[in-house]
Amino acid sequence: MRQDKTHITALIDGEPVRVRRGDTILDAARKEGIYIPTLCYLEGMKSYGGCRLCLIDIKGGRGFPAACTTPLEPGMEIRTKTPELQTLRRNILEMTLSEHPYTCLVCADKKECGEFMHSTRKAGTITGCNFCTSNGDCELQDLIDYLELDDVRYPISYRGIPPVKSNPFYDLDYNLCVHCGRCVRICNEERNSNVLAFVERGNSTIVGTAFGESQTSAGCEFCGACVDVCPTGSISGKLGKWAGPPSRSVKTTCTLCSVGCSMNVNTRAGKLVDVGPAPGGRMDPPQLCIKGKFLAGDITEHPDRITVPMIRKNGRMVEVDWDEAIRVAAENLAAWRGNGFGIIGSAQDTLEENYSLQKFTRAVMNSNNIDLISSFPDPRLQEEIASHLQPKGRLEDILKADTLLVLGTDASVSHPLVENRIRKAYNAGRKVLYANSEATRTSLFSTVEINYSKCKDYNFLFVLLAELARETISGLPAGFAKQVKESLLISGLKSCSVKKDDLQAFVKALVKSRSLCIIVDESLLRDVSGLQTIKALANIRFLKAEKSNCRIMLLGNEGNLMGAAMAGAHPYLLPGLDPVSDDKALLKWNKNWDVKLSDVRGLPCNEMLSNIGRDGISALMIAGDVPVSGNLGKASLKKLKFMVQLNMFSTELTDHANVFLPVTGFLENDGHFLTLDGKIQRLHRAVPPQGKSRSVSEIISLLAGAMKADGFSTGRAGAVWKEIGSSIKIPVPQNGSPKPRFELMKPPDSRNAGSGKKSGSGKNHQDHYRYRGNRLSDLVTDLQALLESGMKEKV
Amino acid sequence: MAVSIIAITSKYAPGDKSNLIAILQDAQKKVGYITPEAVDKISGHLNISRSQIYGVASFYSQFKFNPPGRNSIKICLGTACHVQGGDFLLNALNSEIGISPNETTEDEKFDLDRVACLGCCALAPVIMVNDAIFSNMSVVKMKDLLDLYE
Ligand code: SF4
Ligand code: SF4
Ligand code: SF4
Ligand code: FES
Ligand code: FES
Repeated sequence: MRQDKTHITALIDGEPVRVRRGDTILDAARKEGIYIPTLCYLEGMKSYGGCRLCLIDIKGGRGFPAACTTPLEPGMEIRTKTPELQTLRRNILEMTLSEHPYTCLVCADKKECGEFMHSTRKAGTITGCNFCTSNGDCELQDLIDYLELDDVRYPISYRGIPPVKSNPFYDLDYNLCVHCGRCVRICNEERNSNVLAFVERGNSTIVGTAFGESQTSAGCEFCGACVDVCPTGSISGKLGKWAGPPSRSVKTTCTLCSVGCSMNVNTRAGKLVDVGPAPGGRMDPPQLCIKGKFLAGDITEHPDRITVPMIRKNGRMVEVDWDEAIRVAAENLAAWRGNGFGIIGSAQDTLEENYSLQKFTRAVMNSNNIDLISSFPDPRLQEEIASHLQPKGRLEDILKADTLLVLGTDASVSHPLVENRIRKAYNAGRKVLYANSEATRTSLFSTVEINYSKCKDYNFLFVLLAELARETISGLPAGFAKQVKESLLISGLKSCSVKKDDLQAFVKALVKSRSLCIIVDESLLRDVSGLQTIKALANIRFLKAEKSNCRIMLLGNEGNLMGAAMAGAHPYLLPGLDPVSDDKALLKWNKNWDVKLSDVRGLPCNEMLSNIGRDGISALMIAGDVPVSGNLGKASLKKLKFMVQLNMFSTELTDHANVFLPVTGFLENDGHFLTLDGKIQRLHRAVPPQGKSRSVSEIISLLAGAMKADGFSTGRAGAVWKEIGSSIKIPVPQNGSPKPRFELMKPPDSRNAGSGKKSGSGKNHQDHYRYRGNRLSDLVTDLQALLESGMKEKV
Repeated sequence: MAVSIIAITSKYAPGDKSNLIAILQDAQKKVGYITPEAVDKISGHLNISRSQIYGVASFYSQFKFNPPGRNSIKICLGTACHVQGGDFLLNALNSEIGISPNETTEDEKFDLDRVACLGCCALAPVIMVNDAIFSNMSVVKMKDLLDLYE
C-alpha cells in the first residue's frame, strides 16, 4: 500500500492498515476492528496514558509503548496480543485490582451469578457484589475476560473510604475507583465544570474536591458526564442503580430545552436503568445535562405520576376508565364550541401533539384560541422571529465563529449544551462578548463582560448598535443617525449603566469579527420592547453581513417553541405559519380538513387566562400545568364552566379541573421535534406508557371520535406525521423574505427606558426546570435540594 | 486575613496560572497554612477552580491545610518504624490527643504529621516533636513525653 502526505500504512497483527497521519496506534487498531484493552482511554478526548493496559509490541522497538499515546508510523509492524504482553497486562491489572474489591470478578460462580444476579441470596453473601451497582456497567469484567485472569495474587487492601450518598442524583464509592482519571478529565476538559481533581498524593491519591467539600458545593452542575464515563461502579446514578443490566436501549430526543440532544435510554423489562450511553459505549451519544441525564428519568418513573383518568363527581375527583372519561369530556366540550373555548399546550410536546391540539381547536371546536404555556406575550413576535432572525445559528457555528456575542442568557442552566460550546470557544481563544443584567456562570468564560441594569436589555442593544453603526458604515441611515444624535450616547449609556470603555471593547471586537455568532436569550424578546429587540438584532446582522458571516441563535426555553408554531399551535397562525387573517390560507385549510374554520383570530395564552368569564373564555383544555396565580387566580377559575387537564401530575390546577386525562411523558412518546438550530429530531418510545396514560395525540383522536368529527387518524405519531407532511413542510421554508435592510427602530426612552417590565404568560420563565409547565423542583426532591443550596451561584 | 491574601494575589498577574505554586507558597508563609478562604481568593484571581488548586496543593507535602499547633509532632511510618509498631503509636496518639495526621488539636497545642523516614531507622520506632527526635518509642513513653509540652 502507498504512503502519501495524509495517509500512512502499517501492519497490525499482520493486517495491513491505512490511516491518517498522526493517528495513534490505538485509533488505527480500532478503525480496523482490532481490540486492544484500555482503561483510561476515552474516545474523542486527549489521551492520558495512565493505565498502561494498552501497551503493544513494535517490531524492532524498545520496550512496550502505550498504543493510545504513540502515533502510528509508516511501515511499523505491531503486535497487540503476544503472551508476553498478556502477562504484563495481567500484572498491571492485578495491581490495580489489589485495591479494588475484586472477589466478584474472579469468583468461580461468576457465570451463574451473572444470570441470577438479582436473587436476594446474592446480596451480602459474597464481597464485591454488595459494593457495586447491579447495572452490569463494569469494564473491569471485560478486561478480566480478555486477559483470562482467574486469580489475583494480592490480598485486597480495602481502602475503607466511606461511600458518599449525600449528593443529589449520584452516589460515590471511591473504594472502587481505579484512578483512570476519566471523570476528572471529562469534568475539566470536556465540560469545563472544573469540579473534580486528583487530590492528595501517592497511595492516598483519590478523586476529590477542595477540603473534601461536597460535589454540590464544589460547583457540580450534575451533567452526569462523570457517571457516564466511569468504568467501574465508583460513580453511579441513584435511579436504576439496582435495576439490573439493561436489556433494551433506545435512542430518542430530549425535549426539555430547545437544543434537543440525542439521548439514549436503557431499560430492563420496561423499567429505566439509566439515561446514558448504550451498553458498551461511553461517549455515544455524547453527554447531556442534568435535565436530560437525571430529570427526564426521574419524572417518567415518578411515584406521584397519575396514570388513570379521573372525572369530578359531586365535587371529588374519582378514577374512571378511559371510555367514561372521554365520554364526559366530549359531551361537555360539545356545549362550548366557538370562541368561548381554548386550548393551552406546551412547546415541550412534539410537533404531532401540537398539530393535533390545534386541529382539534380549529376543526372540532371551531375556535382559534390555541396557544402555548410558554408562548411570547405578543403573538406577532413568532412571525417576526421566523422572518428576521435568519440565517439561524447552528450549534456547530458556535465553535466555528471567531467572535460570540452572548446576550442575556444563563445558558449554563437554560441550555447547558450551548454553554458547553461557549466554554470551548472561550478556551480555544475566541472572543466571547457577554452582556447580561445578572451575573451567571457563563461570564467566567467571557473575554469582555458587560453588566447592564435590570430590564434594560433593549437600551443596551440600542447603544451598541448605534456605536457599531458609526464604525461600520459611513453615513448611517438618515432616520437612525437622527435618533442616535437625539438619544445621545452618554445618556443612552447611563440609562443602562454601561461604561463607555466596555462598550467600545465590544464594538471593536464586533468590527474585527469575520464570523460572528449572536446567542440571545428569549427573555430579551419577552420585554415590552421585544419587537424592537428583534429589529436591533437583525440590524446588527445586517451591518455585519456585508463583510462577514453572521448568524443568530435564539435560545427558546421550551424546546419546540418554533416548531409548535409551525405546526399551528398559535392563535394567529395556521399550520405552516399561514395567517388566520389570510382568506386564501383559510380556504386552503378548510379544504385540507373539509370543515369551515373560524376566521376570528385566537387569543394568546395570557389573554385566554385573563378573559375567563365576562363573555370571554368559558371552557379550557390545558395540556400541562399553569400556576394558579396572577392571570389565573382562583376567582377566575371559579368562573370557568368546564376544564380538561392533560397532565402527568396532579397539580393545584387539578383542583379546578372537571376531567383529568393522564398523558405520557416524552420518554414514552414517538414523534418529531424542531431544535433551536432548525433540525428535525426524532423521538422514539423508550419506556412503555406508565399505567393507562396515553399520548396527547391519541387522546385528541379519542375525543374527536367521540364528538363525531371526521378526519382524525388514530393519533399514533406516525399517522399524524404523515398528515402534517402531506400539507406542510417543517421547518417552514422562509423564501420570499424581504432583502435584508436596515430597519428603523423606536429608540428606547433613555430616562425611564423601556419601562422594561417583562410581561405576559412567560412570567416564570426564569425557572428553567419545567416540563409542560410543571415545576420540576416541586416534583424531584434532589433538584429542590440542589436549587436551595444555590447551585448556580457556585463557580 | 482576607486582606492579606489579596495583598499577595495582587502581586501576580490575574489569570496567569503558572503563578499558582508561588502564590500558594506566599499564602502559606503569611498565614501558616492554606485556608479555604485563600483557595477561594486564588481561585478568583487565577481563574482556576478550587478543586484544581486543592489538587495541586495537596500533591506537594510542603503545603499544609491545618493551622500549626504550638507543638508539631511528626510520626514516622517508614518501613522500619512501621515494622516496629509505628501504627500502634499512631493509634495511641489518636486516642490520646484525638487527632489524625494533618490535623490540629482544638486547643492548638499539637499538630500531627506523618513522615516516611526520619533517617534513624536503627532506633525505630521514632517520633519527632518540634526539633527533637525521640527513639525506641513505646505507647507508655509517648504518653509521658506529651505531658511535658504546653
Ligand atoms: S456531574 Fe458533571 S460537573 Fe458534576 S462532577 Fe460529574 S462531570 Fe463534573
Ligand atoms: S471514579 Fe471512576 S472514572 Fe473517576 S478515576 Fe475512579 S474509576 Fe476512573
Ligand atoms: S441541553 Fe437541553 S436537550 Fe440537551 S439534555 Fe439538556 S435539557 Fe435536554
Ligand atoms: S488506555 Fe492507553 S494507557 Fe490507558
Ligand atoms: S523508617 Fe522511621 S526512621 Fe526510617
